[in-house]
Amino acid sequence: MKTSYDLTLNIRRYDPYQNRTWVQTYQLEAGRIMRFVDLFRKINDEQDATLAWGSSCEHGQCGSCSVRINGKPMLACELLVENAVNEFGSTTFFIEPLPVASVVRDLVIDTDQAYARIDQVKPYIISPRQPAADGEAHQISPEELDRYVDATRCINCFCCSAACIASHDTFLGPNAMLAAIVRVMDPREDEKQQRLETIYSENGVYRCHSSQACSFVCPKEIDVAHFMALAKQGAITSS
Amino acid sequence: MTAALHIAATLRCDVLIIGAGGAALRCAAEVLEQMPGASVYALTKVSHPQKSHTSTAQGGLAAVDPRDPLDSTLFHMFDTWKGSDCTADQNVVKLICESAWEQILWLENRGMHFSRDREGRLSKRTFGGHTRNFGEASVYRAVFEADRTGKGIMDTSWGETLKNGIRFFNQCIAVELLIKDRRCGGCIAFKQKDGQFVKILAKATVIATGGSGQVFRVTTNCRQNTGDGLALALQAGLPIMDPEAVQFHPTGIVGPGILASETLRSVGGILRNRDLEPFMVNYAPKMKELAPRDLVARAIESEIREGRGIVNPDHNIPHVWIDLRHLSDDVHEKQIPEVSSFFKRYVNLDTKKDLCPVRPSNHYHMGGIPTNAFGEVQDGDQQIIGGLYAVGECAAASFHGFNRLGTNSILELITMGKLVAERLIPYIKEEYGKHQDIAGDRFAARFSTYMEATGSESVGLIRNAMRTMMTEKVSVFRTEKTMNEAIEDLAESYERAHRAPLACRDLAMNQELLNRWELDNLLMVAMAISQAALHRKESRGAHFRDDYPERKDEFNYHTLASMVSFPTVEIGRREIDMSLFAAGGEHHEKFDYIERKY
Repeated sequence: MKTSYDLTLNIRRYDPYQNRTWVQTYQLEAGRIMRFVDLFRKINDEQDATLAWGSSCEHGQCGSCSVRINGKPMLACELLVENAVNEFGSTTFFIEPLPVASVVRDLVIDTDQAYARIDQVKPYIISPRQPAADGEAHQISPEELDRYVDATRCINCFCCSAACIASHDTFLGPNAMLAAIVRVMDPREDEKQQRLETIYSENGVYRCHSSQACSFVCPKEIDVAHFMALAKQGAITSS
Repeated sequence: MTAALHIAATLRCDVLIIGAGGAALRCAAEVLEQMPGASVYALTKVSHPQKSHTSTAQGGLAAVDPRDPLDSTLFHMFDTWKGSDCTADQNVVKLICESAWEQILWLENRGMHFSRDREGRLSKRTFGGHTRNFGEASVYRAVFEADRTGKGIMDTSWGETLKNGIRFFNQCIAVELLIKDRRCGGCIAFKQKDGQFVKILAKATVIATGGSGQVFRVTTNCRQNTGDGLALALQAGLPIMDPEAVQFHPTGIVGPGILASETLRSVGGILRNRDLEPFMVNYAPKMKELAPRDLVARAIESEIREGRGIVNPDHNIPHVWIDLRHLSDDVHEKQIPEVSSFFKRYVNLDTKKDLCPVRPSNHYHMGGIPTNAFGEVQDGDQQIIGGLYAVGECAAASFHGFNRLGTNSILELITMGKLVAERLIPYIKEEYGKHQDIAGDRFAARFSTYMEATGSESVGLIRNAMRTMMTEKVSVFRTEKTMNEAIEDLAESYERAHRAPLACRDLAMNQELLNRWELDNLLMVAMAISQAALHRKESRGAHFRDDYPERKDEFNYHTLASMVSFPTVEIGRREIDMSLFAAGGEHHEKFDYIERKY
């Protein structure tokens, strides 16, 4: 088994002060279970402190480090060097920011812009149903919860949105749809009409081309396309 | 050069929250529910509130359901007191434990997706240190959302604040607190995306910046947890309480250090050494794997020190095994799916077939900015700073004392978040709660030092060396010698940092500049931790001194560490609140200074 790899990272950079974009090449040696966030850190520490990139939890729970690696949107914190070499059959990688919002610097995008689409679908309970008795939790059977619980696992990393073949200008995006679908299926939400209007609007689920690219790239392995299909069939109502 | 270091705008709001994690947003949600239309600003260093460290909490939330026939709030209070090694403040313990269930309902009614039992009610699981009848037997006390409970809290409280009109400043840091005559008027903030400094005047300011885990090399904490709020307080002349109380989670995954939740042990995972011996029985005969975190962490570290560990060839880090192979497929798939997937993703192992490598990893800072039971910040003389509050991991009220029980941290976020809101609402309504424009006169000098530095040092290398040094010298085991070395090393690093030039001197989204600022914060917090740990010549909870292995009554107090000027730290004291004990009555003796044995 190989213990380390000689890698070439071609990274798309952007300098907001000079409004200049270019591709910079970094050569580095890395152990087999180093992750791509470790590589970025290594570049900062050893070669170039100016390279800007995003991350927070660095274990796939926050979705801050999404980038495109050889064209595929993925979380840089979850990609091991060894797996990347196997998956892409190469030790050269082209790394770009996600194309879901404007770039602030290098690999950092304007997350506020991306999230504006999530805000639009109201990721909360608009009109809460009263529980059976005051001071009680709602009863939701495990079977009912199972119908939509996978959609609640979304971390808004925007990988699905980046992979989606529908236009970002017209489609709110797969993750925004998930957030809306969850609350249609959640029995605690009384305001279903407004939600259905959003889902079936001009910018809604009918923009989806059923390519299933969303499910293919989701780092949380959520079958996003399944929920899109349910919505298209009108099969997302709750009890 | 310094021309850009001016204040570009002055903004005004009712409530300013520095941070946007669980505690920050629970507090904001309560303000917005009770005062519709209030202007609430929340600043966060991360790119969006959902990216906060709260989102990574896995296991659960401790809360006693008043209808539970076996459990009681009193038992929860006792477990917290005992777990804290008799250093929690009992008034705070009472307030939080008593309001716990109400906060679970708040979350559930607003859409958090708690896991359910067959009847559709909230499922519960047991955790280390959760007992009934004062330690008699384990009890099911923690509600949870699969193994993403923190994410549930984060999504719910973010959603509620969004619904009710909060204003977020993402990728924005607070660089100076505006305090004059024991009143806080807001802060100077730096908006990273625009590269602009702004003054934010607020009737009430809440510090909710989270933890400081990046002080150590092996940590479960996110990259952003650099103790910024603690440094902000120290720079404003405020103390940090119990900085030496740092918890090391017994089971970090070797490599990235990330958390392999306590859930692994609560569902039946067994810790084994290199000879595959299940060693916990030698350290905690009754509770074994379910003993509190610090005991398990020291047990693992002892096995490693005595040569019964295993060295991971890729990381060259010694560890022990956690064995999950005997658990049913249902447990693997339903109860620990995300943690199992961590082993697959980060070390390429299958929890159903392989032994998995774990070792103690920095996890939680019990110490923090001292507050009273309502989150009002106190100075070194224990006088309240008007209009300034602290909540969450950066604060110490103190609910956890010297050791935090699993599932008590995210409980603290939601209960204290609400309490702080209730406290500050009347404050901002009264006369003294008006805006007060205080000059911010320190930030420009600090940032121009960063921008104009010359020399051949590197911020990244100084940070890496400091983190390794702190892990070696001031973590699970501490001695006078190692801590003196640490203090000397930190003082030198602080000087060296001044000779680290920036390659890029732009202000907008300059990660290098941010790293430089964070390095100062890390060094200050590390210094406070080391000095306080040196001063406390005893062992208590997570603070373990090899040279003073017993707890001593003469140290029955909270440490107050103030930074006169780096590296000089002044140590003061605050009494431990013993009001449950002092109240007398049935079981009051359980709240005396008792022995912490499991």
